[in-house]
Amino acid sequence: MGYDLHFGWTGTIGKVILGATPGEGGTRKTSYSIGGGTTLPFLELNPLLRAPLVALEICDDPEYWSPIIRNYCGDLVDDVDAWAKTAETVYGADLVRLYLTSTRQRNFSDIASVGKTIEAVLSATGLPLILEGSNEPRIDSEVFQRCGETAQGERLLLGTAEAGRYRSIAAAALAYNHSLIAQSPIDVNLAKQLNILLREIGVQREHIVIDPYTGALGYGFEYSYSAMERIRFSALKGDTDLSMPMICSAIDSLTIKEVREAEPSLQDEMAVQWEFYTGISGAAAGAEIICVRHPKTVMMLKNAFASLMKGAGFPEVN
Amino acid sequence: MALKALDIYKLLPKKNCKECGDPTCLTFAMKLAGGKADVDLCPYLDDQAKSVLGATTRPPIRLVKIGVGERSFATGEEFVLYRHDKTFYHPPGILFKISDLQTHEEITATTIRVRDETFTRIGSDLRFNGIAIENASGSPETFARAVATVEENADLPLVLMAKSTGALNAALVQVGSYQPLIHTATPENFREMCAVAKKHSCPMAIKAHGIDNLITLAKDCLAEGVKKLVMDLCPQSLGDYITTATAIRQLAITRAAPDLGYPVFMDATHPFLQDAAIALGIVKYASVIITPPLSPESSKAALTLRQNIYTDPQKPIQMNPGLYRVGTPGKDAPVLVTVNFSLTFFTLQGYLESSRVPCFMLIIDTEGLSVLTAVAAGKFNETLVRDSLKKFNVENEVAHKTLIIPGYSAPLSGRIEEATGWKVMVGPRDAAEIGEYLHEEWGKVPL
Ligand code: B12
Ligand code: SF4
Repeated sequence: MGYDLHFGWTGTIGKVILGATPGEGGTRKTSYSIGGGTTLPFLELNPLLRAPLVALEICDDPEYWSPIIRNYCGDLVDDVDAWAKTAETVYGADLVRLYLTSTRQRNFSDIASVGKTIEAVLSATGLPLILEGSNEPRIDSEVFQRCGETAQGERLLLGTAEAGRYRSIAAAALAYNHSLIAQSPIDVNLAKQLNILLREIGVQREHIVIDPYTGALGYGFEYSYSAMERIRFSALKGDTDLSMPMICSAIDSLTIKEVREAEPSLQDEMAVQWEFYTGISGAAAGAEIICVRHPKTVMMLKNAFASLMKGAGFPEVN
Repeated sequence: MALKALDIYKLLPKKNCKECGDPTCLTFAMKLAGGKADVDLCPYLDDQAKSVLGATTRPPIRLVKIGVGERSFATGEEFVLYRHDKTFYHPPGILFKISDLQTHEEITATTIRVRDETFTRIGSDLRFNGIAIENASGSPETFARAVATVEENADLPLVLMAKSTGALNAALVQVGSYQPLIHTATPENFREMCAVAKKHSCPMAIKAHGIDNLITLAKDCLAEGVKKLVMDLCPQSLGDYITTATAIRQLAITRAAPDLGYPVFMDATHPFLQDAAIALGIVKYASVIITPPLSPESSKAALTLRQNIYTDPQKPIQMNPGLYRVGTPGKDAPVLVTVNFSLTFFTLQGYLESSRVPCFMLIIDTEGLSVLTAVAAGKFNETLVRDSLKKFNVENEVAHKTLIIPGYSAPLSGRIEEATGWKVMVGPRDAAEIGEYLHEEWGKVPL
């Protein structure tokens, strides 16, 4: 007897392409097409659909980054190119998500340095890049413009557009053919509204990745989990304003009480488990890019995703 | 298709004898109509009525209780595929697995750990649920001894995992009346297994690969008279687990395949993928999860995920608004305002307790929203603070008129001062800094 795992749905998750190889006009070693799903996560019968991607988050000014990461990575965090390279060669990430935290200093104005950082990171790693630009409306326009221009042809994923703040980022994405992250605070309707706003100013569906905002495990994760399920569900029922792939990043995971106050000898592992449980559940709810900060979480997630794909088995011990 | 309460009532014996646990046949009928009771609870129903009612009224997934006493847990009786459709009701029991080849000391240590370890989050005690004992030795005596060791140390729900009924019988001599789950009946051995389960009226796990085989096996066991079943899907990968578990949940709740209406058993003891299996079991429909003893880090993450996924999405866990005391505050003790979201309350309370400054917490009714969320939604506002001060009579509890508000509500400070006539101090954003703040700042306040 066959069982219909499509539950009668008609919608499809739209596709978004991240990164561009030399043949595609960029310089990345690989590019990814995400989306394309026609049912709930991990129920797909189509063997061509890929496992969720795992992005390692790094930054160009680690002052405000979690000390847990500095302890684990050492001086690497002071050298953003080496960090990006290690993400690829040692930590096994699929993507690098670079936060331009240097722009968050008071009265930041050295826009040229942004361009240099991006160039350096692009040459250090062959992975497609997610780029988190400014966090400050005053400099948004210049920063995003510079990001877009410097990485022209690379099909970046630019972050992060929000309801009150999306024009500069959309302009940079449109001008240089990048995609963008559209973030709304844990609410299906707000996610939909933002997508409509973006579409009205010309951003195409195939250039939007939804970030429904992920509260850390124990700190609002259940809301995020359900928001993701509902977005996926609406998309499958045919709502094209919600039918974009999703990204999940529980950035608060490293600052919550359980992690921060863990005994020093357990802290690393606590951080990893917290990111891991959040990431895998986020993927089960429909996210296709899972972002983490602790390097050890990367391969744990990738191994788990491998066992979730069609035709996989359980690893053997010997 | 669902029957109405009155249609059901017509088929009941109308004795109003209360033996079903309900005061009248009519209230029992109403429960049946809501899928909240099992027809078998009425001993006087004739077979014809039973067959009409059985399939349509019992909960789409049967309730199966494992263990007895305080730590026993219920599984099943779930109604939805997504938690946002309503809620998930019965969090999966997570049991630590041991083998009868382990030493007496090891078995004792794991048992005591499950018995005693508690992780308190937002006012609830989170715990693992029991012990699964595997008959790895193959010997009934060794198995019985291991089960006895567990039993000497704790009254925990058990899963008895053995291939032979001989081993099960040897263990059940000691624990047969405590409702352990016996694992596992297969298409090859189900008759003997059913005989064992029936003798002790324990719940039983059945194991087969693929939905059709599970249906056949469940029917066979039911025909043998065993109703308290859980299903081990013996998946070949995590993907296979999710696919099968989702299909089963869907087919069961829509009653398209009523023979699949039993809780799901998940063996998470896969090398390298234990945490992945546990997390997926929690979010995707497992009711009984067995795993080797977890590290402290995995333990907290797993128990927190389970708590999150099984909270009712319609109502965040809330506190009653009011004036709460930390220690025994006097007339000059500080008053701290916060919201009635439990997570916020317990986080702040924890830090206040460790600061050892006796104080009052004024909990205002933000309908369960956190500070930042409530401020963003306009639910944390000066009128609410003013009314709460009055309602909970704060003026008579303290001899000063100074309030400390959360750092995240700083933009409201002026308006709160105006509306209440109280002086407002803006506390830190992060509750972890509250102790230091109170020690430094409260002494300076002229009272
Ligand atoms: C889960 C969540 C939700 C849940 C609600 C959960 C709940 N029960 O509140 C849902 C999905 C419903 C939700 C909705 C909304 N949310 Co919301 N949500 C969150 C999230 C992810 C976590 C909140 C949380 O649980 N925090 C944990 C608790 C413990 O924090 P807390 O209450 O602030 O307490 C801490 C401190 O304030 C302090 N403290 C507490 N009390 C006191 C008292 C004193 C005296 C002191 C000194 C300190 C102190 O101690 C605690 C620990 O440090 C946050 C993001 C985040 N990381 O904070 C966004 C967030 C708060 N939400 C946000 C928004 C905008 C909204 C909405 C308004 C969106 C919308 N337009 O619909 C709605 C409003 C709700 C409504 N009904 O209209 C924004 C707020 C933006 C801002 N800066 O103002 C945030 C920051 C997300 C974001 N970045 O966009 N949200
Ligand atoms: S046990 Fe049967 S006959 Fe007695 S009250 Fe309940 S439904 Fe009525």
